[in-house]
Amino acid sequence: MKLFRRVLSASMLGAALVSTAAAADLDEVVARGELIWAADQEGGGPHVFPDPANPQRLTGFEVELAALLAEELGVKARFQQGQWDRLPLLLGRAADCVINGIELTPERQRDYHCSRPYFAYSLQLLPRRDGPLDTFHTLASPGPKGRWRVGVLTGSAAESVMRSRTDLEVDVIGYDGTIDSLEQVLTGVLDAAVMDDCIFNFYADRFSRLRTVDRPFAGGFYTILTAGDSPKLSAAIDVAIGRLIADGRLKSLYDRWDLAGRQQMLMLRDAAEIPVARRKSLGELARDTLPLLLKSAGMTVLLSCLAFPLAVCIGLAVAVGRMYGPVWLRPLLTAYVEVLRGTPLMLQLYAIFFLLPKIGLALPALVAAVIGLALNYSAYESEIYRAGLKAVPLGQFEASLSLGLSKWQALRHVLVPQAVRIVMPPVTSDFIALFKDTSVCSAITVIELTKRYSVLALSTGRIVELAVVTALLYLCMSWPLALLSRWVEQRLERPAAGGGMTEG
Amino acid sequence: MFTVSSLTKSWTHLRVLDDVSLTGAEGTVTALVGPSGSGKSTLLRCLNGLETFDAGEITIAGHRLAAGPHAPGLLERLRRDVGMVFQQFNLFAHLSTVDNVALAPRVVLGLSAAESRARGLELLDRVGLRAFANARPATLSGGQQQRVAIARALAMRPRVMLFDEPTSALDPEMTAEVMGVIVELARAGQTMVVVTHDHGFARRAASRVVELAAGRVVRQGLAADVL
Repeated sequence: MKLFRRVLSASMLGAALVSTAAAADLDEVVARGELIWAADQEGGGPHVFPDPANPQRLTGFEVELAALLAEELGVKARFQQGQWDRLPLLLGRAADCVINGIELTPERQRDYHCSRPYFAYSLQLLPRRDGPLDTFHTLASPGPKGRWRVGVLTGSAAESVMRSRTDLEVDVIGYDGTIDSLEQVLTGVLDAAVMDDCIFNFYADRFSRLRTVDRPFAGGFYTILTAGDSPKLSAAIDVAIGRLIADGRLKSLYDRWDLAGRQQMLMLRDAAEIPVARRKSLGELARDTLPLLLKSAGMTVLLSCLAFPLAVCIGLAVAVGRMYGPVWLRPLLTAYVEVLRGTPLMLQLYAIFFLLPKIGLALPALVAAVIGLALNYSAYESEIYRAGLKAVPLGQFEASLSLGLSKWQALRHVLVPQAVRIVMPPVTSDFIALFKDTSVCSAITVIELTKRYSVLALSTGRIVELAVVTALLYLCMSWPLALLSRWVEQRLERPAAGGGMTEG
Repeated sequence: MFTVSSLTKSWTHLRVLDDVSLTGAEGTVTALVGPSGSGKSTLLRCLNGLETFDAGEITIAGHRLAAGPHAPGLLERLRRDVGMVFQQFNLFAHLSTVDNVALAPRVVLGLSAAESRARGLELLDRVGLRAFANARPATLSGGQQQRVAIARALAMRPRVMLFDEPTSALDPEMTAEVMGVIVELARAGQTMVVVTHDHGFARRAASRVVELAAGRVVRQGLAADVL
């Protein structure tokens, strides 16, 4: 899975690099007979989601909008799946356009071609009905447990609006899934969520213990993204949206989806111009992003240095238990190893972070991440230590027993110290692997280096420059780690010197 | 010091020990001789509980072993009084020679680090290896390693010492140096049981010789009579 993620992100970066040269313009779309539009079906309703009656089929108001637009261009619509906050990277390679509740922002105006607005959204604050948040202004002063914890969708307008509100006593926590934050409000991990009102309205029945507070406090428009170098396609999409507004097809579409069609049309007609953001100089880029990148690198180090020693201790205990423990314990430990090795780390993190709160055990994200990483890696470490223990000659065990040592004393003073030395190289290499695997923790809102890179690269549009800096940061951290472990390895090669009884 | 009565042990269909009985008084050296596969090493390993047996009984240094599995606590107590030296030395590879000798006194007897180290150095001195106290076992010759292994077993001040072909892995010169140490111990009155192919040694150092063949005692008596 590690490898898969890396290949995936590398290929997306590649796609972004190539996009400048290879975007398909209108003539190519027409020749192909298909308009390929990208969205994230995991993002959910009412935009794009699997039809509950037939999960093979996609439905949602944007699915219908894409069909209408394609029809206007004289072609068929074809769906392309992508992860929501990285959809723009598909432009020019895997998709002609992105239609998925992409908010019109100055930064997006700068980096892509943004169509005229096709939908007006507003942001809602969503606490529990029985909670202390009853007006938006309550957020301006600390709550009973200190700063309010508010969840948002990573990369969404809700996130940037909430992060820019320095007047509020709020910690903003980004989630990869649209309704993850609603789940966490239910379980009490969050005080509230902020999202587009149409999304909450769609899921309101499922989250009936949550409610809207006040009127929407901010809003904006959705836009269709196309690559900057496909001007004819962009123009054709603008014209098509104009026709759909003018002849009432867009209104009747929104009416069918219960999206306040008339109000939408009024707002679309009066849509104000959104300014274009300026491209930052390298100096400004460094000043604005380096402190954040360094802080996130610190999180990466913290996660690894907390999780790995824990993984090693648990792994060693499991290995010893499987080989020398009571007979009834051995199959249980074998099952522990197989379950943790045989299921994805991401899924384990989800289970700890999102499912444990349902049985009343809500862990902070950092704790959940450390536990998840430690448990997952403990399975691998235990296999390494088992191999290490097996590699210690039987004669060492017999000699220990013959001196009157108990089984556990022999393990503690003779077998384990030798096994630890034998397995030093693979354990070191696992440490470096875990160090990079910490990036998976972004799935449960922990912002470490890779996540920070991904967010900054998308918000600044400086994918390559930041990638180089991020890679250098990783290297600066993993290389000393490699040196350190080589040093430890060499030290362990030597026997305990002088009077030191330092074995083990 | 030890008595073996009607010891019987089988590996599935093969009878490794068949009604073996022998005794050894305090201060005597018993040599176990016989062809390979005659059961002498198995018999020795039964004496400190590394092997179990199917029938019969052993008493050694005041401890009694019955047929079947042994209780761990009993074995730990017995092994404080019964030391063992292996054919392949089995020194602890991660410890210096002095720590090899000092480990058991510290861990099992609870001596302080300083006391156990002092005992380790004293015993290394006795086998002529004090200069190598801080060396790793892997850097020593086979003969030196076996002398450290003897010192390690002596560190528990055992009442009986068991030797399992202590010189079979050594060339003649090193054999002589290890045999020198064992003979020295015999003179000092250490009770010992030695599995050996070396009839010269048996004649020189053993008070009694027991010859096994196919798991049975075929002859036993004074060295001069048996050999």
